[in-house]
Amino acid sequence: MKIRATIIKEFLLLIRDPGGMALIFLMPLMLVIVMALIQDAPFRDYQEMKLDVIFVDNDSDSLGRKIEKAFTVSGNVHLIQVKDTAEAKREVLSGNYKAAIILPHGASESLRSKTGNVIKSIFINMGMAESNADTVYVDKPSIDLQLLFDPAIKMNYKEALSSALEKVLANVQTEWMLDELQAQLSDGAPHKNATKIDFAKLVSIKENYASKKKERMMLNSVQHNVPAWTMFAMFFILFPLAGNFIKEREEGSMLRLRLISGSQFPVIAGKFAFYFSVCLIQFVLMIAVGVYLMPVLGLQQLILGSNVLGIAITACCVAMAATGYGLLIAVYFKTAQQALSFGSISVVILAALGGVWVPIYVMPETLQQISRCSPLNWGLESFTNLFLRGATTVAILPDLLKLVAFAIVTLAISVFIHKSRTIRN
Amino acid sequence: MSEPIVKINSLTRQYKGASQPAISNLTLEIPVGSVYGLLGPNGAGKSTMVMMLCGLMNPNEGSISMMGMNVSEQGSEIRKRIGVAPQEIALFHTLTAYENLFYFGRMYGLESDKIKSSIENYLEIFGLTDKAHKRVQTFSGGMKRRLNLIAALLHDPTLLILDEPTAGVDVQSRNMVIDFLQQLKTKGVTIIYSSHFLEEAEKICTNLAVIDEGHLIIEGTPTQVMSKHTDCRNLEELFLKLTGKTIRD
Repeated sequence: MKIRATIIKEFLLLIRDPGGMALIFLMPLMLVIVMALIQDAPFRDYQEMKLDVIFVDNDSDSLGRKIEKAFTVSGNVHLIQVKDTAEAKREVLSGNYKAAIILPHGASESLRSKTGNVIKSIFINMGMAESNADTVYVDKPSIDLQLLFDPAIKMNYKEALSSALEKVLANVQTEWMLDELQAQLSDGAPHKNATKIDFAKLVSIKENYASKKKERMMLNSVQHNVPAWTMFAMFFILFPLAGNFIKEREEGSMLRLRLISGSQFPVIAGKFAFYFSVCLIQFVLMIAVGVYLMPVLGLQQLILGSNVLGIAITACCVAMAATGYGLLIAVYFKTAQQALSFGSISVVILAALGGVWVPIYVMPETLQQISRCSPLNWGLESFTNLFLRGATTVAILPDLLKLVAFAIVTLAISVFIHKSRTIRN
Repeated sequence: MSEPIVKINSLTRQYKGASQPAISNLTLEIPVGSVYGLLGPNGAGKSTMVMMLCGLMNPNEGSISMMGMNVSEQGSEIRKRIGVAPQEIALFHTLTAYENLFYFGRMYGLESDKIKSSIENYLEIFGLTDKAHKRVQTFSGGMKRRLNLIAALLHDPTLLILDEPTAGVDVQSRNMVIDFLQQLKTKGVTIIYSSHFLEEAEKICTNLAVIDEGHLIIEGTPTQVMSKHTDCRNLEELFLKLTGKTIRD
């Protein structure tokens, strides 16, 4: 009865505080939308490689065509044909393009000659052909293909482009060596039925995500930002909670409650229950934004996965931890200024460490270790496991237990401090 | 003669870092059914005394017995039977008068019907019926003070502790409060009344004690107190004589 009365009282206090309502519901919604929009491009950038590369084909022969064909198939690199090497250099230097491939004149002929010499050399060494006056140098580069890079290019882009080009060249060399081998074996006679092998198809690589879901799932701006900022907002419950608590203490209504007989437990429990419910409402609203509003804004839809029970339990555990932390801040600090300053900064730090701002896998190893001490990280990891990896509730149980333990400890300390301050010794 | 409702025995309380105690070796008894005036200048120790009477502060030495129970040991049981109107307006300012009283009634553990009838009754007595559903933040100082008093009465306490119940209110509100306290006196409720208003105290108190710098200066019925200082025409003159004319902070 007393707890119910406290819940009703807290409800009335909150709905009559427009600033508090905005802080709890409106600001987090704005925050999650803005952050998802802002981080959409960097996430795509990080996850997907899309690069426009200048291609100067001074060779105008088969090697150039093979390079062009290979990159057209890959889809990650889009070649822009430019005729002049100087122009290509200017474009890269000005930062308009991140890289340029410059194929020198005579590259195809030179490579063909080189591969021919390699096969001839093998035949001579095996006694299958006679050496003639021409000396065969197989280890000397025959062509000087240039790769120009913008100094500002990301290292992973640079390495990806270099290795893609090396792969194309390796395939061409192998193909041409096979052609030369067949020609040598047929003693220079025309080989109309020569075998053509597509080396890229010899081994099939099937790329899949280690998820239990059939659909293609990967971390994107929405999948990261919605649960991350939802938890951030839930932990910011300390603002209205601590604000109201200290206001009650300063205005004297808390004194009256202390003057009323009996335990202070209903007062604390009522506040806890109310703000716990507010956290859950925040969660539902933020998730609804991810599912329904994000696609309207041109972002990906939040995928929740199928473990609804796991999501509900995780939301409850995060809400408990957030409310417990808010109560502790409210009870411990004596002025609103102290409580709100410390509370907000501490939540920002816990959020940053917990991987709310940026995923922890982009953090240095030391920070990744520290981040595992943040309750926001426990919650975020649980949501990521549920949403992306289709985890079972048992699989996320360790993080859930940590959240519950955090809630119990903060609540116990809050009750102890509140009780010790009820009667002054 | 019946047993005193409150017995204060050699009570001492010193705050940490303070050079002298707020209450020093104070002993007094409060008779059942009396209106006991606790008088003194600012900093005399009245509010400290009230906090200890309510069981919200423990003494360094001495004891308080209330209704036969030790306040330090059975504070919770005692608080069930006392009503306290603190000096602060101890109300939720964004709640209405009715919402405030209903919530406090619930926290006293009262049933809904009892709370409703008490609220209606007291709002009527204190002229606040038409303001029942207005938020406290819109009330005048006098209205808030009256509501603060009602919140202490909802559970029909046998002992009422009032700390400056008429501070900052207009003459009309003050009269209303004094009239009500006199009615309450006739019903046998014991009232401990801490105030600066000596005229008020003279009017309603059956007993009084003057405290200054934590010490009991004088104690007794108004007649007994005045008879010890026949050169004083009224309580105010007596008060100034006993506590001096130096302004206190």
